[in-house]
Amino acid sequence: MFLRVKFFVQSPICFALFGVLLLFSPMSMASERIGLVKTYEPVATAIRQGAEVNLQVGAEIFEGDTIVTNSDGAVGIIFSDGAVLTLGPSGKLIVEDFLFKPAEQSVSFISRVVKGSVAFMSGAIGRISPGSVQFKTPTATLGLRGTKILINVD
Amino acid sequence: MNIRILFIVLVVSLLTACCSTGTTVVLIPDANGKVGQVDVTTASGTMMLSKDKESTQALNANQAPSRSVVLSDSKIHDMFADTLAKEPTPPAHFRFYFSSGSAELLADSNEELAKTKTAIEARKSCDLSIIGHADRVGDNETNRGISIKRAETVAKTLIGMGSARECMEDIRYYGENDPAIPTADNVDEPRNRRVEVEIR
Repeated sequence: MFLRVKFFVQSPICFALFGVLLLFSPMSMASERIGLVKTYEPVATAIRQGAEVNLQVGAEIFEGDTIVTNSDGAVGIIFSDGAVLTLGPSGKLIVEDFLFKPAEQSVSFISRVVKGSVAFMSGAIGRISPGSVQFKTPTATLGLRGTKILINVD
Repeated sequence: MNIRILFIVLVVSLLTACCSTGTTVVLIPDANGKVGQVDVTTASGTMMLSKDKESTQALNANQAPSRSVVLSDSKIHDMFADTLAKEPTPPAHFRFYFSSGSAELLADSNEELAKTKTAIEARKSCDLSIIGHADRVGDNETNRGISIKRAETVAKTLIGMGSARECMEDIRYYGENDPAIPTADNVDEPRNRRVEVEIR
């Protein structure tokens, strides 16, 4: 019996079941993705609802994610409005608010840079509603009007 | 006693001064070469940047941002090379136009379709959005309807040319809310009757 349980735990069926459970867990149902990772240099992770998630090219990004890079890490993300964000080494950034419902004219994109370097080019949110794209840092608030900026916080 | 308190105050203020987290902001041109504008605001003031490579620093939340300076390329490179090296290729955009009230592609769309297909393949992209737009003739509701039909036409055509349906889940409509050319209501503007494909 014990052997049988052990066999099941190590079997592909168990992994598949676990995967299906993950797919339908409340966490992934809660919101739709807001962006995808396009470039990746290890190590970069996302802290999502208290859990650390490893990133890689193709990984999904969700509203509320805290993106963290170590001293060699970097991550480049394209958001669903076409905005391009790159976080360099030793960085920490929180996507606090991402709302993209252009048909209802409700859009917003607010991120907090805790530390590190960021390159950001705004997308459709910045075009439809100038002033809706904001970055917050420990010392300042940045309001963008359809543009590309570099930010460094140390 | 007073001297000791003074000393502690001095040490604390020196520590906060030395280790405050400063913010540097640099404005640079976007993928189309356009330089926009950014406002950098602290509790004590705002500095507006509007020129290529113009930069300001906010060293302290209670202090106004520094007067702006234009940075050299080498200075920008020193500060941001590691980050800029990992920038993703910016999204590519393609546009398709329509006759008034119609969701049929215009006859001359073939070249743009071929370019779109080539760009999807070159990027190996499975991350597309197809967005329908309308002009301002007719009411908002009608324009939403026609703009989603236009987006579906483009999606179907690309799928017919061999592009993967599962990469085109983001088919949406803006109606008349995001004109390429802003106009008054009820203006027949051909450049606003369009579908934009964004390849990310």
